[in-house]
Amino acid sequence: MAVYQSNRLRKDGALMGLDVGVGGQVLDLETAVKDGILGGGGGIGVGGGSAEKLDLKKMIEELEAVEVPSVFICPISLDPMRDPVTLCTGQTYERSNILKWFSMGHYTCPTTMQELWDDSVTPNATLQQLIHTWFATKYSAMKKRSQDVQGRAIEVLEILKKAKGQSRIEALKELRQLAAAHSTARKSLVDNGGVGSLSSLLGPFTTHAVGSEVIAILVSLDLDYSGKTNLTQPAKISLMVDMLNEGSIETRINCTRLIEMLMEGKDFVSENVSSLSLLVGLLKLVKNERHPNGVIAGLRLLKAICSHESLRASIVSIGAVSQLVELLPGFKADCIELALHILEVLSTVPEGRLALKECAKTIPNMVKLLMKVSESCTQLALAILWAVCKLAPEECGALAVEAGLAAKLLLVIQSCYNPVLKQRSAELLKLCSSNYTATNFISKCKLTTTIQ
Amino acid sequence: MGSLCSKQRHFDKPENEENGQAAEIERRIEQETKAEKHIQKLLLLGTGDSGKSTIFKQIKLLFQSGFGEAELKSYTSIVHANVYQTIKILHDGSKELAQNEAESSKYIISSANKDVGERLSEIGGRLNYPQLTKELAEEIGSLWNDPAIQETYSRGNELQVPDCAHYFMENLQRLSDANYLPTKEDVLYARVRTTGVVEIQFSPVGENKKSGEVYRLFDVGGQRNERRKWIHLFEGVTAVIFCAAISEYDQTLFEDEHKNRMMDTKELFEWVLKQPCFEKTSFMLFLNKFDLFEKKVANVPLNVCEWFKDYQPVSSGKQEVEHAYEFVKKKFEELYFQSTSPDRVDRVFKIYRTTALDQKLVKKTFKLVDETLRRRNLFEAGLL
Repeated sequence: MAVYQSNRLRKDGALMGLDVGVGGQVLDLETAVKDGILGGGGGIGVGGGSAEKLDLKKMIEELEAVEVPSVFICPISLDPMRDPVTLCTGQTYERSNILKWFSMGHYTCPTTMQELWDDSVTPNATLQQLIHTWFATKYSAMKKRSQDVQGRAIEVLEILKKAKGQSRIEALKELRQLAAAHSTARKSLVDNGGVGSLSSLLGPFTTHAVGSEVIAILVSLDLDYSGKTNLTQPAKISLMVDMLNEGSIETRINCTRLIEMLMEGKDFVSENVSSLSLLVGLLKLVKNERHPNGVIAGLRLLKAICSHESLRASIVSIGAVSQLVELLPGFKADCIELALHILEVLSTVPEGRLALKECAKTIPNMVKLLMKVSESCTQLALAILWAVCKLAPEECGALAVEAGLAAKLLLVIQSCYNPVLKQRSAELLKLCSSNYTATNFISKCKLTTTIQ
Repeated sequence: MGSLCSKQRHFDKPENEENGQAAEIERRIEQETKAEKHIQKLLLLGTGDSGKSTIFKQIKLLFQSGFGEAELKSYTSIVHANVYQTIKILHDGSKELAQNEAESSKYIISSANKDVGERLSEIGGRLNYPQLTKELAEEIGSLWNDPAIQETYSRGNELQVPDCAHYFMENLQRLSDANYLPTKEDVLYARVRTTGVVEIQFSPVGENKKSGEVYRLFDVGGQRNERRKWIHLFEGVTAVIFCAAISEYDQTLFEDEHKNRMMDTKELFEWVLKQPCFEKTSFMLFLNKFDLFEKKVANVPLNVCEWFKDYQPVSSGKQEVEHAYEFVKKKFEELYFQSTSPDRVDRVFKIYRTTALDQKLVKKTFKLVDETLRRRNLFEAGLL
């Protein structure tokens, strides 16, 4: 019967939804024939054993995202079968899986639940060849597509060298799409001097339309040292800063991320990011609650900039401290930690400490954040409180206590495992309580009667 | 335009002609006011000699019909006047330096040129200048080449030697030709102190296309006595193009020889930024005369100007020029943010490096300015 059927298939090439007798599963032969597998895939051959299996394994891995026909899937593991074997019930499984099933003491067919009258497993050579051929075809199609993409990327890069005006923008848009969708395109761009070419398009007279596309592409690439150095010229950074201030939210985020990437270069000089326009632009991003991605990107770059000591005063001078403090209540956990980190670093410079002290919301917000989000946030909030209270112990200590600091600190001391944290809390408690009498202080703590 | 009071519009049947005419006139005024609203007002501000009028001329050349022959001809007398004024300043300057300087011999004009010098100085002091003849041009030329005058020229920053001096002196032959017609470049270099206000209306895409923005550009006099006329122009300005000549950090004012020009620019910029009517106005800062800056930085350190006293050179040559430029740019940026209150931080502020005499550069720069202003419009209309 099988022979008759396969003859028929070869003759017509057309499909009937035939039951090929794999027990309840219908092999979608239409697809098989359309793909040219049957009759066309003979060259690969069934021999070759383990070498072929490895290939198949690799192909299956690389084609993970592709939808595999259900008949190729092992019912036990739900993975494509590499060595399909058929039981006496007619059901097919991956050899290693069904043997494991047997080794656990079962003598039934997993899908049909029938008891097996014969424990032999027969290799299903036909199915194996079908699977192999199917994957091989898909694999070579994918490789070809990827090569096409690579080829196209290189082609567009060449076009870009001569294009001007609107055609330049069109070329950049295409390159951007290619780079966004295919990692092979990205690699091919980097390997063919794309970074240099794109970088050369950035200068003092680059229009926003061109600049925003270039930045979008660059930010998706893997930049090496020379690429980063090339991009760190003042005129190019100036352009990025301008676009960060004027562009769409996507452009702003791209510029922010790109600058963050550039800062990771080892020769990066703090002067490159010292522009006040950059800092002001980042603050605007951070304040824009409609775009959480922008907020996080802005905070991350500010944190990176803060790490340069010489820039801290500039950040304070644009009012970053009070603005960050006031934004804290509205932030999510990851933003809170970043913002606290920035504020803590800024508190290490006198201007920062002063700004923290002068902002009315600093103390109440910091107290609220103790023991609320995470241990690192508590540590940072504590450090900030310490810096502020040290500056004016009486005034700030009083404010802190009014805001409920004491209860929080006691909580930290009691429940935190970190000895450094406990120590700090104790010191802060001492500092703030120095102006109160014992009874007065305890009443301020608003402690429950049991603890009292 | 004066403000229109809106009043109840009862268009009664035009019972008599007078009513009909009045209604028509009102309709026309309303139409024009509406049209005016689409015109974007650009204001060129800056201290004296910062290059505002040169930018103005460039815009005229780029986006309007340029200079016609009659207009070019009208510049002949100005060019000649510049020549006389320049040589007089140099001559008198050399005498002054010869008197006051320790190494006075450097500044003493050779005996061959002495009389010529005196005569030219006298001509230069008149109200009306004579035609620049070949003979006069030759005399001016030989005086220009006198070592004493060249020495004086090298100290031009202490005198009020105009920036066009070198250009005109090197072209005397051509300028004194009987059929001399000033070239575009001559017109751009020609220096007249603007007084009052001049305006042009233009569209960057060219006058045929209707789709572009329409700009009205105003040029003003920069000297101190002219500045009181500015305030009348401050309403409804889309963008201020503030010109600052960065090469003037070692020069003094025409109006006050004890005041450093860069300090004057600094104060003026601050003042302009704080004006209440500019709350939402975009600011385009043109750091002008970069070509002169480039040459000067190598010989005259930036810290001769008090504002730049903390400047530290790091290298030399082209790199140093770039470094110096970035320093100056940073200073202006700091000044901007210091003078801008938090509620105004949203306004557009961009800095451009310009050389107003270079037409290509001005064209490219203006293209960027136009793009920025268009994006700003879209942003304000909520479309971005």
